[in-house]
Amino acid sequence: MPDHLFVGKSIPRTIEADKVTGKAVYINDLKRPGMLYGKILYSSHAHARIKSIDTSMAKQLQGVRAVLTGQDIPDVRVGFLKDQTVLKKDVVRQFRDEVAAVAAISPEIAEEAVSLIKVEYEKLPAVFDPFEAMKEGAPLVHETDARGRPLKSNILPLPWKFAVGDMEQARKDAAYIAKDTVSTTWVNQCCMGTSGCIAEFDQNNNLTLYDQTNVIFGHIGRISEYFERIGLAGKKIRVVNPVVGGSFGTKLDTDIYEFIAIQLALNTRKPVKILFDREEEFCALPPRQPAVFTIEQGCDKEGRLIFRHCEAILDNGAYTSWGATTPSVMIMPMSSLYRVPNVYFKATCVYTNNIYAQAMRGYGNPQATFAVETSMDSLAEAAGIDPAEFRFINRNRPGDETPMNLKITSCGLEECITAVRDRLQWDQKRGKQRGRGVGMASLIHVAGGARVTKSDGHGIRVKLDEFGHVDVIESGTDQGQGSPTVISQIVSEALGVRPEDIFLTFGDTALALWDAGTHASRHTFMAGNAAVIACAKAKRQILDMAVELIPRLVKGEFKRMKRKDPEFVEPDLDYGLIANPEDMDIRDRMIFPKKDPDHPYFKVPISEILRNGLHVGIGESRVVAAEAFYDPPTEMLNRDMKGNLSMTYAFGTTGVEVEVDEETGEVQILKLVAAHDVGKAMNPTLLLGQIYGAGYTGVGYGLTEEIKVRNGRVMNPSFRDYQMLTAMDVVPIEAVIVEPGDKDGPYGAKGVGEPGLVPTAPAIANAVYDAIGVRIRDLPITPEKILTALKERK
Amino acid sequence: MIDYDYRKPGNLEEVFSLLKEYGPHAALIAGGTDVMVKIRNTRKAPEVLISLRGLKELSYIRKNGDYHIGALATHRMLEQSDLVQRELTALYEGASRIGSVQVRNVATIAGNICNAAPSADTAGPLLALDAQVLLQGPEGERRVPITEFFTGTYKTVRKETEVVTEIRIPAEMERFGSAYWKQSRRKAMNLPIVGIAVSLRLDNATISDARIALTVAAPTPIRAYKAEEFLTGKPMDEAVLAEAGRIAASTDCCTLRDSLRGEAWYRAEIIEAYVPRMAKLAAERIN
Ligand SMILES: Cc1cc2nc3c(=O)[nH]c(=O)nc-3n(C[C@H](O)[C@H](O)[C@H](O)COP(=O)(O)OP(=O)(O)OC[C@H]3O[C@@H](n4cnc5c(N)ncnc54)[C@H](O)[C@@H]3O)c2cc1C
Repeated sequence: MPDHLFVGKSIPRTIEADKVTGKAVYINDLKRPGMLYGKILYSSHAHARIKSIDTSMAKQLQGVRAVLTGQDIPDVRVGFLKDQTVLKKDVVRQFRDEVAAVAAISPEIAEEAVSLIKVEYEKLPAVFDPFEAMKEGAPLVHETDARGRPLKSNILPLPWKFAVGDMEQARKDAAYIAKDTVSTTWVNQCCMGTSGCIAEFDQNNNLTLYDQTNVIFGHIGRISEYFERIGLAGKKIRVVNPVVGGSFGTKLDTDIYEFIAIQLALNTRKPVKILFDREEEFCALPPRQPAVFTIEQGCDKEGRLIFRHCEAILDNGAYTSWGATTPSVMIMPMSSLYRVPNVYFKATCVYTNNIYAQAMRGYGNPQATFAVETSMDSLAEAAGIDPAEFRFINRNRPGDETPMNLKITSCGLEECITAVRDRLQWDQKRGKQRGRGVGMASLIHVAGGARVTKSDGHGIRVKLDEFGHVDVIESGTDQGQGSPTVISQIVSEALGVRPEDIFLTFGDTALALWDAGTHASRHTFMAGNAAVIACAKAKRQILDMAVELIPRLVKGEFKRMKRKDPEFVEPDLDYGLIANPEDMDIRDRMIFPKKDPDHPYFKVPISEILRNGLHVGIGESRVVAAEAFYDPPTEMLNRDMKGNLSMTYAFGTTGVEVEVDEETGEVQILKLVAAHDVGKAMNPTLLLGQIYGAGYTGVGYGLTEEIKVRNGRVMNPSFRDYQMLTAMDVVPIEAVIVEPGDKDGPYGAKGVGEPGLVPTAPAIANAVYDAIGVRIRDLPITPEKILTALKERK
Repeated sequence: MIDYDYRKPGNLEEVFSLLKEYGPHAALIAGGTDVMVKIRNTRKAPEVLISLRGLKELSYIRKNGDYHIGALATHRMLEQSDLVQRELTALYEGASRIGSVQVRNVATIAGNICNAAPSADTAGPLLALDAQVLLQGPEGERRVPITEFFTGTYKTVRKETEVVTEIRIPAEMERFGSAYWKQSRRKAMNLPIVGIAVSLRLDNATISDARIALTVAAPTPIRAYKAEEFLTGKPMDEAVLAEAGRIAASTDCCTLRDSLRGEAWYRAEIIEAYVPRMAKLAAERIN
């Protein structure tokens, strides 16, 4: 018998048929009776005082049901640092500031009403560069903090600092040192489905929010806090996901438009939908956090890293969302990508009048890894060591504990580096220049949960009906990542049924137990472990019934046969084979004794047991249901930013071969090899989807994508001008799957949602350097930057 | 709210009478890939959109001495025509790089030039191929060389009452080879940062005739006459081509500017690099 029937198999995606045939109900399709449409008026300035807002014309427009400004709703602060209000009434600090909102009977009327609102502003001096913003005398983005205390500087009170070892001594000990300044810019998550929600109150002011968030319970937490401050304390909040068209980090925080929908619904007593158009998605949704790093590394004569010293400046924009917390994740690659004993990392977030940032796939890791891996190449060169060899020397190994106290369990980095080296024919190709070159970069990422909140738990419920259908109520969310398929595989394997027997419900706080959020590449690991536990319980319930019922059923059958045929001789059966549930198993819908799996009488369909267990006499009827809440024994970061926050870590290496046109600066990727340690490939096809998708996003991050923000304004808010790569731009990717198996993962799996993106951009930058001898330290690596650098060299 | 009427006449006469009836309150629509985008962006629409899609007879590509391309020929038709690919290669390259297959399936060649964007992807090839634009109005037909068709950004010589019915390319282009390069950051769904079209004829190894057209190099698509003059009568060698590239990229030929999509200096670099490359390609393609 093969080990696994379903886990590890490329089972096609289960529920996606509805998506491709247009049946799936996205937020765009969802309508509630009496629903109104909300629309937001944004600021026309990067920094200005609001002198007056005239809503009279908007209010008079037929079909308008509410026009709200900051004067009309409670003056309550929201956000990670509570540094903004829902509608801004005195000062706007960025172009995306929400100044007023309308609810109307159609989206068109709402839009027209918004255009009829007149706002008078008095411009204030603005600051758009974080370095300028740190200078004394720079215009202050915020004059006071959340408690009204005056502020003297634009620097956020979030001192991210990590220091281990003796930096001074390490510098002395280093035989070679390299220093680089690198920078990354804003990129949009580019979800296919734009942001939107429907807020609906019942008569008792309990809220149902149809919302695309991937942190359904965290959402409730933030909204409850808001409710307490607006006089709705104690009201019940239910968050329900429609089908979600992508997240990539956008759905991690509770955004301002969601609070606005709530306020409009409260005001009108009707369900209110807000749905972003693509321009809003680019202008009013927080993108990836930009950052500038000054990084210095040193190694000894043999090429062993001795220290890594890095300071980062993050343009925070005008308010604070999760973007400002990305340094907490940056600490991971800074301290733990490759073995390095002495580490210093400091990140400063600075208020400016630019757009603010949020989470995006990788959460700070792509930025930090761009810095580390650029520096790795520089230092390898200074030390005269081949960059692949240099990485190999410094690779992480199983059993390591890093300066951040990450406990490395399974680690396939060695295999990943080697695979990239082989597949790219690294040794033949490197160092030839003449426009062609190879480069590589590696990554570390959390892959077994991430304890960023006190509970990193994940709940799952499993129940079976008498036909053998399995309902699974998942506390996580499905934003298109393929979870329904993978969880079906795990449940069917663990329970002994088939994937097509599994029916999943995602994203409903009223039904689900609890979950910290479908983020941090944690869903398969967490839900998988929870499912294995819950399924073991359910399976035990079934086997308990089976032990009781199978002898009865078999004997009953013999009786019937005797009645029909008096000659019938009852076979002499060894009922000891099925005396204990421990001696039984379930596989592919059949219950059987382990010692005799094909027993002619004791092998029984699971549905027969379920049916006979339920439809019996008074007081004996039973149903099968189980739940599990898995919260791994990990640690939250302590004050020193140390702690083993994940059960296990993902490793990987990306290598690319490029050709650079020195006349035009164009970079062509000839080959991209992405080698990933995934623990165990649960579904190879879906896994490749994650690796390819993340890889291409990484190519865009490296070469083309950039939200162009000029004086605080987003200049390219459309797919025409925002250069996300298309299907025509795909590059040849070769994925190498490294499967060491992880002792803590479900069936050995680790998380892999984010990793593919992380090392791609630095691998490209390193390959460009190998090809033409100029290093681009500022993403994206545009032809303009390459030509400029080539000219400067001449 | 954006509101408009939509009419779909079955013949040119009806189009003329509708144009007369509505005057400035009407606009023609073919594939609609510029018209509809403009309506959404400006949130303003004309009172009536007069669709040309009922004029099925204007959807052709044929060679009959000259090359005749009906106004309603879509970019997809151009892309899939062996004749265009073989004999008017630059036009094939221009049409096949527009938007995406979905866009090319509906977008028309006349729409592309009547919209008159400085970046229009068929404009460069049509300039290099000496095309003429046939316009029909209630008063009859006139023929305008494409070099005189564009009068400004989004402006043409077309009168409000006229319809473009055909693009004609002279038979002599048969003896030319041609090539078009669209410089863009990605391979689809993109407007050019700059476009370079070259057509030429050789007499042994000497360039006997050459046309160089540039898009996004001036307020309208243009010909780089100075560079063409320089090439004529010269041998096809690296130095000559490089010099032609330099002339084409200079202020003698274009008025480059900085925009979100690209900076002037970079556009100049690309013109300089690609005029020689396209010239070589065009030469290889001479039948
Ligand atoms: C997603 C997308 C991608 C695009 N990519 C490109 C690209 O890569 N390169 C490029 O050059 N363009 C591109 N375009 C623009 C557009 O598709 C082309 O300009 C197209 O050729 C327009 O043709 P149409 O038939 O759709 O014109 P329409 O939108 O129907 O009309 C355009 C203009 O021409 C007028 N018009 C149309 N036909 C006639 C006629 N027979 N006589 C007189 N006037 C007429 C209309 O009144 C209107 O002013 C893109 C557009 C979209 C939406």
